[in-house]
Amino acid sequence: MRLFDLLALIFYNLSRRKGRVALTAIGVVIGTAAVVLLVALATGLQRNATRNFAGITDLTMVQVYPKYGGEGNIMMAKPGGGAEQPSQTKLLTTQAIQELAGLEGVQMVIPRDSLRWPGRVKVGKLEAYPYVFAVDTEDLSVMGYELLDGTLKLERGTALIGESVAKSFNDPNWRPGQPQPEQPQLLGQQVRFILTRWTQEGTTVEKTIPLRIVGILKQKMGETDYAMVVRMDDLTAWNEWGNGKRINRNKEGYEMVMVKAKDSRDVTKLADTINNLGYQASTPMEFVQGINNFYTIIQIVFGGIGAIALLVAAIGIANTMTMAILERTREIGLMKAIGATNRNVMTIFLGEAAGIGLIGGLGGVLLAWGLAQVVNVLAAGYLASQAAMMGGQEAGQAAYIAPWLPLFALAFSTLVGLVSGLYPALRAATMVPVLALKYE
Amino acid sequence: MAEPSAFIVTRNLRKTFVMGRTRVHALAGIDLDIPEGTFTVIMGPSGSGKSTLLYLIGGLDRPTSGTLLVNGQDLNMLDENALAVYRRNTVGFVFQQFNLITSMTALENAAFPMRFAGIPGKERAQRARKLLELVGLETHLRHRPVEMSGGQQQRVAIARALINNPRLILADEPTGNLDTTTGFGIMQLLSNLHRDGRTVVVVTHDPRMLRFATHVLYLLDGRLVSREEYEASIQTEPTG
Repeated sequence: MRLFDLLALIFYNLSRRKGRVALTAIGVVIGTAAVVLLVALATGLQRNATRNFAGITDLTMVQVYPKYGGEGNIMMAKPGGGAEQPSQTKLLTTQAIQELAGLEGVQMVIPRDSLRWPGRVKVGKLEAYPYVFAVDTEDLSVMGYELLDGTLKLERGTALIGESVAKSFNDPNWRPGQPQPEQPQLLGQQVRFILTRWTQEGTTVEKTIPLRIVGILKQKMGETDYAMVVRMDDLTAWNEWGNGKRINRNKEGYEMVMVKAKDSRDVTKLADTINNLGYQASTPMEFVQGINNFYTIIQIVFGGIGAIALLVAAIGIANTMTMAILERTREIGLMKAIGATNRNVMTIFLGEAAGIGLIGGLGGVLLAWGLAQVVNVLAAGYLASQAAMMGGQEAGQAAYIAPWLPLFALAFSTLVGLVSGLYPALRAATMVPVLALKYE
Repeated sequence: MAEPSAFIVTRNLRKTFVMGRTRVHALAGIDLDIPEGTFTVIMGPSGSGKSTLLYLIGGLDRPTSGTLLVNGQDLNMLDENALAVYRRNTVGFVFQQFNLITSMTALENAAFPMRFAGIPGKERAQRARKLLELVGLETHLRHRPVEMSGGQQQRVAIARALINNPRLILADEPTGNLDTTTGFGIMQLLSNLHRDGRTVVVVTHDPRMLRFATHVLYLLDGRLVSREEYEASIQTEPTG
């Protein structure tokens, strides 16, 4: 029998019992819609969770901290005084950075250091207290920093400031009852950065450094929100002023380095390699994978709940096909008498069962798609407020139908139909033709 | 009567049905030889096993024991698949109940067997149209069974039986559901097929059909009997 003829016959047989096929398919529609919608909801949740997270961190970055010897990671002070470093200690020295840069899959290594002494930004009477750090790269965009305004290009004596800290200026002499001071315009403005240290006698020494704010970093629920980013040479100079001695990067190293991987898929492996070298590496990828695993389980559980509805539908298909075979017993006998093989008969009835599954699957996917739109409209308000809370991220969808999901649902519902039709089709195929013909 | 080259040969052919605890011997050892190109009528009252014999010859059922050769082919040796191919290519069936598919037109019904033979749709329609013309239904190609009389339906069934050009036509009470005139028309049609060179075997309990036969077999209680024996039995216990 030709495939086209087979399909045409299956379609014909289904079309001459439209009512019953439709009623049976409704069960599959509900089951498939339940599976698709529940999985879409789980996927939507996952996407919202990981997107908010991915928005605030660069997934290709491995953060590497130095490792200090001894138990745990605490620097051990020897009884003789003076912090002697045991041999396992791995500092992020210039050589270490070269070692890391030589690893496979590494795009670049960016040292990072922060200000060890208190500093405050002063504009007129107003003050703010950012967390001050520097990353040693000319191109700050590789850090994933996004500008609200200005430029990422840093020169000596300039700084970038986070959006949150830029809005947190206050007057130290403000008293209740006075009006709240207006936040200053910072972009392109000269500000005073006041650095503080203490002498051995305990007296406070302050140093005022003129800085020009050249860029404001967009708020994104990350470390830059409350930070001021400056050039590494500026920062080193300020720390040296505070320490009262020069910093030797070959010996003391950096507080931290960021290792940027060429491919986000290699990040976990890269972090392992770096850990094996004796440093302390961590990556947001581990966390994201944890989230993903959690939501995969949710998807499976949700899909499983939907599948129960499909199971009920499967019983409906089996029932319909069994009834059809009773009704069409003489027809089966006739088909055999005119030369249909057992396999022909089997294929026809399996095809009809699978066809009901497919029709139901199509209906289910369409229904789920429609319901997903409704859910998304209903949830849009809530998600927008949530997104605003999470730092201006775009609002996500509550139910997200991944491209593979409709295809999977169709294949699955067809398979359900096929499996349900197995027993009735087998019965039809193995009927003795003469008995089938005489069946009343 | 033993012709070695007979088209249909049976030797000690038996068919036993188990009904609850009792065994019913539908065929209790049949030896027959039907030559090719004959018009054989098998006469017998209901329950004589004549339909059983026809279905065994047609490969719709398997004998309990005995030999059954058609065209030199031992049907017992064929597996289910080969038996289906035998039914498709060698045999054309005509039933008392017509067994048309009610939702299909005359053309579709007649062409139906060719689907299983893997013949393209265009060729199917051409051949079905030709055969429906042959049985005198050229004006009823698009009619469904409910829109046709019993005689017309049986003509469609005959066209369907001929569609794969079989050498053997098996008819089970083809006139049983028809009035006498219509029934004669159908018998005439079958007789024409025989004249074209096909082997025709018709099962009936209607003696009026005997005038078309070249060979007649009488069946009583699963055994072949002589005409005299048959007529004596019919007179003592009339059957319907």
